[in-house]
Amino acid sequence: MLLNRETSGGRWRIRPDGPAKVSGGLAYLTDMTMSGMLHGFVLRSEHPHARIISINTDEAKQISGVHAVLTHLDIPGFNGFGIANPDQPVLCSDTVRYIGDAVACVAADSPEIARAALKAIKVQYEPLPVVDSPEAALKSGAPKLHPNGNVLHTTAYSKGDAEGSFAECASIVEETYDTPRQMHAYMETEGGLFLTDGEGRLTVYSPTQHGLKDRMQLALILDMPESDIHVLSSPIGGSFGGKDELNVQPYGALLAIQTGRPVKIHNSRWESVRAGLKKHPMRIAMKTGIDESGRLIAHQVSIIADTGAYSTLGAEVLNFATEHVIGPYRIDNVDVKGVSVFTNNGVSGEFRGFGGSQTIFAMEGQMDRLAAAVGMDPWELRRINLRMTGDPGPFGQAIAQTDGALQVWEAVRKHPLWTERRSTAPQAPWLKEAVGAAIAMHGAGLGYGMPDTAGGRLRLAADGKIEALFGYEEVGQGLIASLSQMLIERFGFAEEDLRIIIGDSDVVPDSGSTTASRATSMMWQTLQRLEAPFAAKLLRRASQLSGLREEELRLGEGGIWRQEGSERIARYEELARASAEELSCDTTFLYPATSMKRIGAHFIYTYSAAIARIELNTLTGRVKVLQQYHAVAAGPVANPQGYLGQIEGGSSMSVGFALTEDAMMEKGLYAARNLDTYLVPSIRDMSGGIEVEAIEELPEGDEYGPRGVGEIGSVIVAPAIAAAIREASGKWVAQLPVRPEELQQTPPFIAKAVNG
Amino acid sequence: MSDQSVQHRASYQLDCSINGKSASIPSEASKRLLAIIRDDLQLTGTKRSCEIGRCGACMVLIDGKPFNSCLTMAYQCAGKEIITIEGVAAEGLDPIQQSFLEEGGFQCGYCTPGMIISVKALLDANPDPSEEEVLEALSGNICRCTGYGSILRAVRRAIEARRMIPDVASVDTIKAIE
Repeated sequence: MLLNRETSGGRWRIRPDGPAKVSGGLAYLTDMTMSGMLHGFVLRSEHPHARIISINTDEAKQISGVHAVLTHLDIPGFNGFGIANPDQPVLCSDTVRYIGDAVACVAADSPEIARAALKAIKVQYEPLPVVDSPEAALKSGAPKLHPNGNVLHTTAYSKGDAEGSFAECASIVEETYDTPRQMHAYMETEGGLFLTDGEGRLTVYSPTQHGLKDRMQLALILDMPESDIHVLSSPIGGSFGGKDELNVQPYGALLAIQTGRPVKIHNSRWESVRAGLKKHPMRIAMKTGIDESGRLIAHQVSIIADTGAYSTLGAEVLNFATEHVIGPYRIDNVDVKGVSVFTNNGVSGEFRGFGGSQTIFAMEGQMDRLAAAVGMDPWELRRINLRMTGDPGPFGQAIAQTDGALQVWEAVRKHPLWTERRSTAPQAPWLKEAVGAAIAMHGAGLGYGMPDTAGGRLRLAADGKIEALFGYEEVGQGLIASLSQMLIERFGFAEEDLRIIIGDSDVVPDSGSTTASRATSMMWQTLQRLEAPFAAKLLRRASQLSGLREEELRLGEGGIWRQEGSERIARYEELARASAEELSCDTTFLYPATSMKRIGAHFIYTYSAAIARIELNTLTGRVKVLQQYHAVAAGPVANPQGYLGQIEGGSSMSVGFALTEDAMMEKGLYAARNLDTYLVPSIRDMSGGIEVEAIEELPEGDEYGPRGVGEIGSVIVAPAIAAAIREASGKWVAQLPVRPEELQQTPPFIAKAVNG
Repeated sequence: MSDQSVQHRASYQLDCSINGKSASIPSEASKRLLAIIRDDLQLTGTKRSCEIGRCGACMVLIDGKPFNSCLTMAYQCAGKEIITIEGVAAEGLDPIQQSFLEEGGFQCGYCTPGMIISVKALLDANPDPSEEEVLEALSGNICRCTGYGSILRAVRRAIEARRMIPDVASVDTIKAIE
């Protein structure tokens, strides 16, 4: 079904959080203030790599209006954080490893005084050689950035004999792909409000993708029991993976505890750029061979990822990349090796796509090059190699079976953008139009062996509201809207019957993280599990109240109704008042995982194919995306507006990844500090239409429901653009973002005028 | 010592109108309007994001024109009529806001107030803009979530919706003619 407002009919709903967002009334956590509040600031390293000789805070502490100046000596608990491996110091003691490393933090009466205090802190550094690339970090004799060296993680996967099989190949393509240090560029920079009560309990209002995880990390740093920390973590002004890890929370918490006053932190954009996570730049070398009929025979891959100064989820991203570099294709002989390397660059970590953008760009590039090498249609080459129903996943692992790969690829074949791709008519001799397409399968959930908890709770509140409690976060994706819609459609509730409770560590159950395209799937599966028991409890109480048999009753808007006719026999409020006994149901389970014991291997995949029609201006080398088509096979659409928004929004990130975005670093220093030099797509870049086709059909008996769509749109457009650029210019793109100077051509009419 | 600059500042009284009410705000001549609106007046619908006038999250209307409040200083606002997002919604949602709601022209919502300010400035000046004029008017507002498709649909819907509402100015004109 082509997804839009019209085709969605009554399922196209106004978001419950919408009125507050369009009116400016919604209080984001960085909008909060409190009387007596102090302003918190963090002193960050002057060098990408240096030894700290001394830190002197005496002068800063003397400034009137300064209430606290803290260093590593003031951390009561463990001086480190990192979701998977807590190797990033909260406040550095002896070494700084990147330009965003924190050395001290201050709380003062005003931002001006706090900035003055930062300036007054005297840190003596001894600069050390800067390791500015993974290649430099891997050289023998390179400075050792961590006790175990410069390698965070290595991966390997092999089957068959790739090296030996190249001899059998009719055609082999070798290419090295480079991808940029993409920045999340959420519009709301990191920040929040931190306070303690008289009894030492800490309250943290700060955006994150997993409030309970923040609480756990903060408890270690602060040496406090988790029960003494209250984390309020939604709503969020965008995250895209970037706020998954701790950012300013430790500083706000330390300063609030130290001063006994509320402390507000709200990063400037430059501080966000400097300290925040980015997408892993990867260098992916591929050698891929096909036989005479175009069948893939051998695929050899080496991945080098620049993970920057600290771990966060760098190892997990590499695991994901290792899986996705094989693509939705049957290949008998595969050999993948990956290494994620520490450098003195900015920290790379969680980013929408999680290694998918880089690897899918590379793999799809191979497919286009192979097709060109043997003169085959790129659609046909992919088609004959696609994983079909019944095939295992990229690692040979058991996966939830769907026809997704074929469904989305067939949709491309039939689409007019594809069938009419040769009949483009540019408006000027120097403009060239062309079309490219790509396909991807993208794993959801954290994968085998990871803490992939899911679950939630439904409850009839004392005031008669139906409460849904989940430990997920509203980052903007429309989680509240999707949950409301699922509750309404599944149970028959009215929107006014509902109260959604998220983002509050004191009351929500552990539902796992709001990452990895998992939240909507897991809410659906939770409701699937809770539907029968929760409905039964409500009906039982209604039966007791009314004397009618449960079979005669049904749930509906505003209360319990007779199955037949239109009589409401009890309002939910009356059910709640009828008994003091709490009426609630909850469930905890794990995200469905594959049986293969390979860490991170996925079980549930979303499939997508995209067509991009572009215009290349050969005078400027600039590429404009004119039109896009996305076919997405992700099971039933839980929320049409949210689904469409995820694909459209994801596609914009992929366009930026392909054409303009790169947080370039030179010798460990950022070249761009703000959105004037780091270029995210503007409305002009995205004014071409995007058609989104949702393929909802799943095999009979599928029990997993909606697949995630949060990431798939963001990994699929770049390879389609690269294919179109090749069509338009004859040039292969192996490095993103595309460099216009490489696509500039002297048009024939100018060459003629100049050369005669 | 650097806190000299903190201590000695010329005081300034900003007299202007904010959301239809006259205001007299003790300030400094060079204080940024964004700080006055958010920190002093607690009108937090106006957002802080890039602070260099690129992203548009802090846009407000000054005498009906859209300005990045992060680049506007207090003295530049003297005697002006300033409307923030809260002022746009003062008497119920504006048709533009209603259109953003109906089309889902927002996700995280952080850019939305500035986006709506830009659309309002455009449509107040030009009720029937061309596609090119819409793109030009919104090119100073960055949205990282939506990819802009739903925003463009919301703007088109707002243009239609406003056509259905009798325009105050034209009603006055008709009365004058009568």
